[in-house]
Amino acid sequence: MTSVREVRVPESALVARVGKQVNPDSRKSRLPLRRNLQLILRVWAALAFIAATTFFLVRVVPVNDTTAGFLYLVAILVIATRGGLIESTIASFAAMLCFNFFFLPPVGALTIADPRNWIALFAFLATSLTASQLSVRAKRRAVEAEDRRGEVERLYALSRALLLMDTSHPIAKQIVQQIALSCEIPGVALYMRNTGEVHRVGLEDSEIEFSLREAAVRSSVLKDQEKNLIMTPIRLGGEPIGSLALNDGALSDAALQSLLNLVAIGLERANSQKAMTQAEVARQSEELKSTLLDAIAHEFKTPLTSIKAVTTDLLSGSPRPLEPHERELISIVDESTDRLSKLVSDAIQLARIEGGSFRLQLGVHFVHSLISTAIRQMKSVIDDRRIDVVVPDDLPPVRVDAGLIHVVLTHLLDNALKYSPPDNPITIGARLSEGEVVVYLADRGKGIAAEEQGQIFAKFYRGSNERHLQGTGMGLAIAREILRAHGEDIAVSSSPGQGSEFSFGLPIAPGGIPR
Amino acid sequence: MSAGKILIVDDDPQIRRVMRSTLTAHGYEVNDARSGEEGLEELRNSSYDLVLLDMNMPGMGGLEACRTIRSSSEAAIIMLTVNNTEQQKVEALDAGADDYVTKPFSTPELLARIRASLRRLPQLPGQSDLQPLAAQGVNIDLSSREVGVHGRTARLTAREFGLLTYFLARPNKTITHRELLQAVWGPDYGDELEYLRVFVNRLRKKIEPDPSKPIFLVTDAWAGYRFHLPQ
Repeated sequence: MTSVREVRVPESALVARVGKQVNPDSRKSRLPLRRNLQLILRVWAALAFIAATTFFLVRVVPVNDTTAGFLYLVAILVIATRGGLIESTIASFAAMLCFNFFFLPPVGALTIADPRNWIALFAFLATSLTASQLSVRAKRRAVEAEDRRGEVERLYALSRALLLMDTSHPIAKQIVQQIALSCEIPGVALYMRNTGEVHRVGLEDSEIEFSLREAAVRSSVLKDQEKNLIMTPIRLGGEPIGSLALNDGALSDAALQSLLNLVAIGLERANSQKAMTQAEVARQSEELKSTLLDAIAHEFKTPLTSIKAVTTDLLSGSPRPLEPHERELISIVDESTDRLSKLVSDAIQLARIEGGSFRLQLGVHFVHSLISTAIRQMKSVIDDRRIDVVVPDDLPPVRVDAGLIHVVLTHLLDNALKYSPPDNPITIGARLSEGEVVVYLADRGKGIAAEEQGQIFAKFYRGSNERHLQGTGMGLAIAREILRAHGEDIAVSSSPGQGSEFSFGLPIAPGGIPR
Repeated sequence: MSAGKILIVDDDPQIRRVMRSTLTAHGYEVNDARSGEEGLEELRNSSYDLVLLDMNMPGMGGLEACRTIRSSSEAAIIMLTVNNTEQQKVEALDAGADDYVTKPFSTPELLARIRASLRRLPQLPGQSDLQPLAAQGVNIDLSSREVGVHGRTARLTAREFGLLTYFLARPNKTITHRELLQAVWGPDYGDELEYLRVFVNRLRKKIEPDPSKPIFLVTDAWAGYRFHLPQ
């Protein structure tokens, strides 16, 4: 059985390996000699056949010159169908000489008495040469047709084998084995440009790797006369994806081209199947991550639900109002529950966004309704704080994931409420700027020191003077990740004592041309 | 006399314990079930005014349990969900829930939702209001809450019926989202636009000859809804 070897081509020189079974050099030098010997033998056989015919016509069954001419023609046709053009041509001349010598008067001499017999002699020569040429050509056609049929059969067998390949095993290796097996080629090597691997059957010669790589890189056919090999690039959509080396002359040009197309298609099919499998694995992992996060959320929120239900029931003062000190203690439990609950929500939200286990559900929305929904969601936290909404009526709609933009706005609003004094209003607005809608949220709080402005979007970062305030330190990181998923970013401008303004762009919906 | 009979369906024993204790203290008759399957079994054996149904349960999930309950019972359903995404809320309402509460919730909020769900329905319209509807091939039986459209019959849930009767009593007049929510769900509501979207769609599926091209329940963009009655 043929061994298959797989070698990764290194950038440096390759270690030379000497082939074991085949020595192409010795075989190549023996070949023409044997061919010449065969030709000489066949010429002698043809001449012997003409001599035998002459002997038969002169000695065994004496005939007249016309009959002899026809019988010589028959003999030439027999030689032409059996042999090649050279022996039939030589036989034609020999037959002409014999015809002249033994049958055309004066018999026994190479001269011709009657000039009309010159015509007969040349007619004979022309007929025999034409007949032998036609016969040889027909024979060659038949042989070629037979070869083509064989090639088509082999290519069909190969294409079937390539279709049935087991994609769970390395494809290139299987392709090489199938080419060697189906096309009965002793030496085949396949170079894959993307991996740099060379797969081979038979050709244990390391030096072909350079030529193979060159054929692929230059996208041109290379021939190695010495090793009797042809290296052809494999192209897909005009782009060389590798190269194939095989014994020169093993296949016709047309068959070689078909073979290369088959290999290119086989490789492409394998690649696309691999990509599909990878996409499926990624999808499953995303699903698993999402399920896991849901389970964690459920597990944390369930005990919190019980605690919250109890504290809120007690604090509601029904049926019996609490003593002041009982109320204080229960309030502490209640507030801590809220804090823990927010922490769990934020952590899961951040994990979901960072882990990529969410997909943007883009829709066309008006900024005004995005802002009013966010304010509605924050109703209980806003309480009686003043929020000014400044959104021009003529703003075009934006194309965003509304649920996620609500998350961004609620985190920003939450921050603004937390970091600005209760009697200072907060402004949320939007404006058209450089082909997008810019949403901004400004407070009149203490502001953020310049050296802190770069850090506030980092996870778990808490302002140096704000540690006493409740918060998870994840809100701005979540907001930034969501905006980045939209291809946007968030910016802050602030000066101490003047308050802060956070702003971000949102893409205008296609067709939503500013009015 | 009890304020109403409530079935709690939740896989967490602590939540069942808290709910049972709190709701009983507020005058409700309470029973509980550990899973969707057990809840359905309980509903087959006795009747309830309201079901508190957890969304995330092992075995038959809350959504499937909700759909099954809705197909055979008219009890009000309040879904309890951990996830407060818009999508989950709409899924819960689409499955036939009347309302939802996000965990962790406060007891006064839950009690308010329960009271709203058990509230008496708005004033019924008179028979004369229904005549133009009958002329269009839509028959409404006020006593059985059954609707027939071109031979197709459907039963309205209490909340759907409440919404429809509110519309019928105010034909050809744009009713704002807030007014509808406060009238049909209760004074604590007013901003829950997704409720209206889902319930109006549910109503359209039952009363409109072609729900995708409504002729009665029309949307007045940005303002509210209008019940169009041909004069």
